[in-house]
Amino acid sequence: MKQLKYLTWVIGIFFMTQLSCTDNYESLPVDRFTEDFVFSVTDSTGKQARQFLNTIYEQLPNRHNGVGGDYLEAATDNALSIALDDEPDVYKLLMGRYTASNRINSDMKWGDYYASIRKVNILIRNIDVVPFNSSYTDALGNKRPLNASMKAEARFLRAYFYFQLLQRYGGVPLIGDRVFGLEDDLELPRNTFSDCVDYIVNEIEDIKDSLRTIPLEYPEEFAHVATREAALAMKTRVLLFAASPLFNGNTLEEGNELVGYPSYSRERWKYAADAARSFMDNYGEHGSKIFGLAPDFRKVFTNWYGGDNPELIFFRNTGNNTGLETANGPLGFSGIRLGNGRTNPSQNLVNAFPMKDGFARGESSKYPYNPQKPYDNRDPRLDYTVLHNGSNWLGTQLKTYQGGAHNPAATGHYSRTSYYMRKFLGDFENADQYGNTLHLWIMFRYAEILLNFAEAENEYLDTPSDEVYNVLYALRRRAGIEPGDDNRYGLKSNMSQIEMRQVIQNERRIELAFEEHRYWDIRRWRVAEDLFSEPVKGMQIILSQGNPSYQEINLIQAPFSERRYLYPIPYSEVNKNINMVQNPKW
Amino acid sequence: MKRTIIVLLYLHFIALLVGQNNILKGVVTATDGELLIGVNIKVKDTGRGTITDIDGNFQLAVEPGDHLVLTYIGFKDLEYVVGNQTDVQIQLEPDQTSLDEVVVVGYGKAKRITMTGAVSAVTARELRTVPTSNIQNALYGKLPGFFTQQTSGQPGKDASDFFIRGKSSLNEAGNQPLIIVDDVEYSYDQLSQINVNEIESISILKDASTTAIYGIKGANGVLVVKTRRGMEGKPQINLRMESGVQTPVRTPTFLNAYETASLVNEAYTNDGLQPQFTDDDLQAFKDGSDPYGHPDVNWYEEIFKKIAFQENVNVDISGGTSRLKYFVSTGYFSQNGLVKDFSSANDDINTNYFYRRFNYRTNLDFDITDNLNMRLDVTSRFMNINEPNNMNATGEIYNFAKMRPYSAPFLNPNGSFAYLYDTDSHNPTLNARLANEGYRRTRRNDNNILYGTTWKMDFITEGLSSNVRVAYSNIYENNRFVYRFSDGYPTYHYDPETEIYSINPNGTYAYGTYGIGGGINQSVKDLNIQASMNYARTFSEIHDVSAMLLYNRQSRTTEHTGQKIPENFEGYTTTIGYKYKNKYLIDFNVAYNGSDRFGSDNRFGWFPAVGVGYRISEESFFKNRFSFVQLLKLRASYGLVGSDVAPGGRYLYNQVYEVGDSYYFGDRAQNFSGYREGDLGNAHVTWEKAKKFDVGLDLNIFDNVSFTIDYFYDERYDQLVRRNDTPLLLGIGTAPLNVARTNNRGIDGQLGYQTRVGKVNLNTNLVFSYAKNKVIYKAEAQQKYDWLAETGKPIGQPFGYINIGYYTPEDMVKINGGADVSPAVPNTDIPVQAGDLKYMDLNNDGIINDFDKGAIGMPNLPNTTLGWNIGGNWNGFSLSLLFQGSFNYSFSVVGTGIEPFKSQFQPLHTKRWTLERYQNGEEIEFPRLTSNPATINSAENYMSDFWLIDAWYVRLKTVDFSYQFPKRVLPGFLDSGRIYVNAYNLLTLTNYNKYQQDPEISTNSAGDAYMNQRVFNLGFQVSF
Repeated sequence: MKQLKYLTWVIGIFFMTQLSCTDNYESLPVDRFTEDFVFSVTDSTGKQARQFLNTIYEQLPNRHNGVGGDYLEAATDNALSIALDDEPDVYKLLMGRYTASNRINSDMKWGDYYASIRKVNILIRNIDVVPFNSSYTDALGNKRPLNASMKAEARFLRAYFYFQLLQRYGGVPLIGDRVFGLEDDLELPRNTFSDCVDYIVNEIEDIKDSLRTIPLEYPEEFAHVATREAALAMKTRVLLFAASPLFNGNTLEEGNELVGYPSYSRERWKYAADAARSFMDNYGEHGSKIFGLAPDFRKVFTNWYGGDNPELIFFRNTGNNTGLETANGPLGFSGIRLGNGRTNPSQNLVNAFPMKDGFARGESSKYPYNPQKPYDNRDPRLDYTVLHNGSNWLGTQLKTYQGGAHNPAATGHYSRTSYYMRKFLGDFENADQYGNTLHLWIMFRYAEILLNFAEAENEYLDTPSDEVYNVLYALRRRAGIEPGDDNRYGLKSNMSQIEMRQVIQNERRIELAFEEHRYWDIRRWRVAEDLFSEPVKGMQIILSQGNPSYQEINLIQAPFSERRYLYPIPYSEVNKNINMVQNPKW
Repeated sequence: MKRTIIVLLYLHFIALLVGQNNILKGVVTATDGELLIGVNIKVKDTGRGTITDIDGNFQLAVEPGDHLVLTYIGFKDLEYVVGNQTDVQIQLEPDQTSLDEVVVVGYGKAKRITMTGAVSAVTARELRTVPTSNIQNALYGKLPGFFTQQTSGQPGKDASDFFIRGKSSLNEAGNQPLIIVDDVEYSYDQLSQINVNEIESISILKDASTTAIYGIKGANGVLVVKTRRGMEGKPQINLRMESGVQTPVRTPTFLNAYETASLVNEAYTNDGLQPQFTDDDLQAFKDGSDPYGHPDVNWYEEIFKKIAFQENVNVDISGGTSRLKYFVSTGYFSQNGLVKDFSSANDDINTNYFYRRFNYRTNLDFDITDNLNMRLDVTSRFMNINEPNNMNATGEIYNFAKMRPYSAPFLNPNGSFAYLYDTDSHNPTLNARLANEGYRRTRRNDNNILYGTTWKMDFITEGLSSNVRVAYSNIYENNRFVYRFSDGYPTYHYDPETEIYSINPNGTYAYGTYGIGGGINQSVKDLNIQASMNYARTFSEIHDVSAMLLYNRQSRTTEHTGQKIPENFEGYTTTIGYKYKNKYLIDFNVAYNGSDRFGSDNRFGWFPAVGVGYRISEESFFKNRFSFVQLLKLRASYGLVGSDVAPGGRYLYNQVYEVGDSYYFGDRAQNFSGYREGDLGNAHVTWEKAKKFDVGLDLNIFDNVSFTIDYFYDERYDQLVRRNDTPLLLGIGTAPLNVARTNNRGIDGQLGYQTRVGKVNLNTNLVFSYAKNKVIYKAEAQQKYDWLAETGKPIGQPFGYINIGYYTPEDMVKINGGADVSPAVPNTDIPVQAGDLKYMDLNNDGIINDFDKGAIGMPNLPNTTLGWNIGGNWNGFSLSLLFQGSFNYSFSVVGTGIEPFKSQFQPLHTKRWTLERYQNGEEIEFPRLTSNPATINSAENYMSDFWLIDAWYVRLKTVDFSYQFPKRVLPGFLDSGRIYVNAYNLLTLTNYNKYQQDPEISTNSAGDAYMNQRVFNLGFQVSF
């Protein structure tokens, strides 16, 4: 009997243990991980932490067709989107169809940048717990543990994000290295424009020597990382931006330090010029020769610097594909040659290209401008930038006249201007079809440094110096413009500061077209109001008896009001934060 | 073998009866001739009795002069005096005011007269007359407190959304009622697939007293479904077949090519552009002289049929012995879509919409011993939904950018397909796409097993029993599509002048093969275990005590999509009820339960509720004075319930890192993957809570009037919403916090009346529901102007501009002349013109912008619904009508549903503003036409009360007319036979003429969902 009692217990306990050993699935999320996993105290390679940094890099823009499918350039007088009827974002940006509460999210990012900045701050806070045993060589040649580079790269990216905010909004709240929680006071005021510029420049100074330097030690693994040269290139742009009229002298609101400096200072142009000059002196043809102008303009955008591209300073690789060709290539091809003609350069841009000898349209005695042969004898960069009627493409002469094979005018889908964008695309002039091409989104290239220098130096001096001229000669020489008998590449001698300013502004426009400079340049120069009094134009080409006849046509009269020099801070942010001051007139 | 045993058992039973002296055989029917199953028959003052079997037959040993008492739910009690006959037919009169009405509640049943909670119920008899595939749609207008909205009529996807007592939570998903079928939780999808024929009754539980037992899941009310079970008797086969035609409730009318082209020209002229069409073009459209160069196609009529068919067949067999009872049912439902067949004869690809469903259910009850009962329910549902691949056919037709009446001929003269030549996309015509681009088919298989035992434990103490239930369900859904893209087959543009066919630039010359794709949509397993102890006993016929203690756990595992770990729910529920002389009533219900959706500290909560009732009509002072009152009961309940629906996933309590975006490094474009921070966790996340108060009155008078009314006030707090007042400087998303608070109040009830005029029985029933909510706190940022605030408004309050007519030419003079006082205009590059919609400048700054958007109209869910049922029967004929109405709601149609150049031109557009019409004083119902999509006239950019209309509708929801054949005319093998016709959505009355869409379309959309259907149905039912 007693045995039976024990047996009952044994069976009972057996069942209890069986019940508790369930074969259910796990009850906690084993596929999820937390901060300690990403910044792991046991991960000596820092694999996860590096992946965290990758995601911060990913926040860098790829602006190829990056604003709702268009280039930001299509919100300037340089181009139009083919999809005007669908009211693409660039069209709304061009026409000013936005308010503080109804913003164009593809370019008016605010929260996204603060999200990226937070990521940087998380990395800075946590990276030192990772016991890195791998090292790198910094810009000064020292071997250091990898976390030093990662921290500096993250700070570079943070400075870049702040600059994006500064361009768009003027002074913004600087949050330092803080990582906020909900319990923190988030009602931060905006810092002044001047504070933000100083912050970005100081950050660059602080990190530049901790970054890698070009040429890279292990390019196969580290190409595309932020380098000292990228940081210094950013510095030239930031200083040029800060010295520009919109913030220096001709601000939107007097006494409002959020939107510019309180008073004009010519010295700011000097800072900008010095930064650019020092870059050129250190790395250019008179320095280490790491950077220079690539011999072939077209190759700049499809060729990695391991492959003989001395112009690249900082860029994002957007893959080896036919994406840009399909999106922007001319209409009228199909299958593997299909192009959707998304970006239509304007007549205004085409007119900005000088003649082959560097003289402006109609001013050259050697190459008189013939309005019925408008593309003959022009600056070669025109053909590198724009596809027009008669251009060679995919082994065909493009017919972009009305109803032509590459501009089917009778349907809703046609080039607004009779042009297509050529820049950035692979060399498919004589190819049968599109093939995979390496496409880069270049954030900084050497040509820009030259132009930054020329502009800043010209503004600083009373009359332009030889240094300024030399820079322009170099750019025009590379472009393939004839030097002319006087070796002046079509530039007049003894130009006044104002004349030179116009030359430099035009040179920026054509050299850097579609690289997202024009949109910001016409703002910082504070010329947008005047500029947009002119309509955006296209070319109407009509074929009569086999001959095309060319006629410039007005396409869009874009208005521009003063407040649009800066974007509105999101209405909701002003609402939530009592200290947040809206930009003027929004 | 089993069957032999059943038959043997049955024979034994008969033999037993035959042994008695006087055997009375009889059949019990309703006054309309329907056989009544399970009527309780007792010989008065004895213990003897029986119930009728599935044929309505009974046999009972009686003595002449015995009084038989027949009782049956929904019918009046009848006392029948036994004469000398041995074969009788007894008729029971229906009683809508029945005092014995028993309704299903959570884990049991309750009598209406002694219930303290707020419950509305409907029997399946009333639902089977509605020719729709799903229960939600059949419940319209039948239950007080039940709010429904049907936003699509697509076969298989036409189930309504429903809410019990409106909405209470700002957390949109947190408003769905809990669905309980045979005490097991079902999902919405599962519910809409249940065959109505399998259902015995449906209740909705509305107040805390009845929902507290579900604790953390009860806050949105509970829909309780009970399925049919077998009755003692010989096998009874019941066959119901019906077929019907569907036709849309509302169809859109669009202008023809000439009218459209004229308006296009007018709009272009308004915009300062060249007209698109010449006078010759217009003439050609008008006289149709050039059908290929200037086509005029009514795409709606070309693509859609007028009618489509549906069919429904149900067979059920039920019966049983005293030991084993069974109910076996199979059903097949088939509903076709309205798209015509354009495919060529040798192409067997069906691209039409359709829905096919096969249901099967076996419910078995087996009394193992006198005290031990076992049940096994097995049910499966197989479903197939078909739709054209990659398109919404109605939406295609509405969309002006995609097609116009003059875009292409229906077919080219040589019979080839055309493409939409003048559009951007160059799509093939819709008939070409439907013929060539394949279908998408969703298949779903839903298997459920429920096993349960009940053990009467009277040997411990009388009235005690225990109950164990295990339910397992498995849902598997996949899709398969056969597709071909629009560039995979040839379409041509035919030029009648040159007679040249040019191929679509996006197309090919040869037909490509179809591609085949598909995958698993979901695979879900759900295991539910329940164990309970129950106690119910009446002491001295005065004290009625009941109690229950229940343990319930549920585990749901999603095994395909998202591969999630199981979601678990666990809890205890206890109820205690006490009734003194069935006069003073009190119920306590407490649940302690939780789900692992929340952190381990915040998983379990207590959910208590109390309900009290007082049957004044039982008091002698009352009885004596008001003898015409059969029931007067006051009741009230108060309690706390919860809702565990958490938006944004499961691990809200924990911040987790996720796989993030990757970046190219290195010279060969190597993709390096990344990690990123997930939303900030909310360590304290917990369930939403609702305090519910309900006070109600039940009244039955004059034996033929019944009345129920409830007032309720709910306070919903700790609602999970994302804070709207956190600056983006935080840099990361946040988990929802338990911060928002709303209240919800209203009344609902019903009034029933029945009478008999001569041989005609008449009954009528009015159901009314009203529920109004208000946001008390939602963590909203301080708005610049009061009228922008959402706090204090109902949930889902629309905001927009307030329309004050049209800009007049006089206004324009002021505006353009810069007059000191001129109407406000928007601050954009598009100048307003005379005939544009004019809006009120709320902040008086002279500019129309977002600050001028105030609360307009009402939320989309009606806050008042009515249902009115009238029925009558005479000599086997019966007729019932159900009117259903919804009031106090708003909706708008935007974009491709109404706006010119986005939508096809509609008759409304002919009533546009033009200077001429304005000066002639003609009625103007639409702003001037413009091809610019961004003007102030756009509903998408400037939502206003011009577009948002306050609507109501009243529908003749169902009509049912049937004839029950008298038994004498039926062939001998048939026990009963009935034919019927019924209709669904027969008539609709609404108050608006701006839109052509159905009043139930989803608001702020193009309203181009598949049209809601009207159904005419013919059927018959036989039993043998």
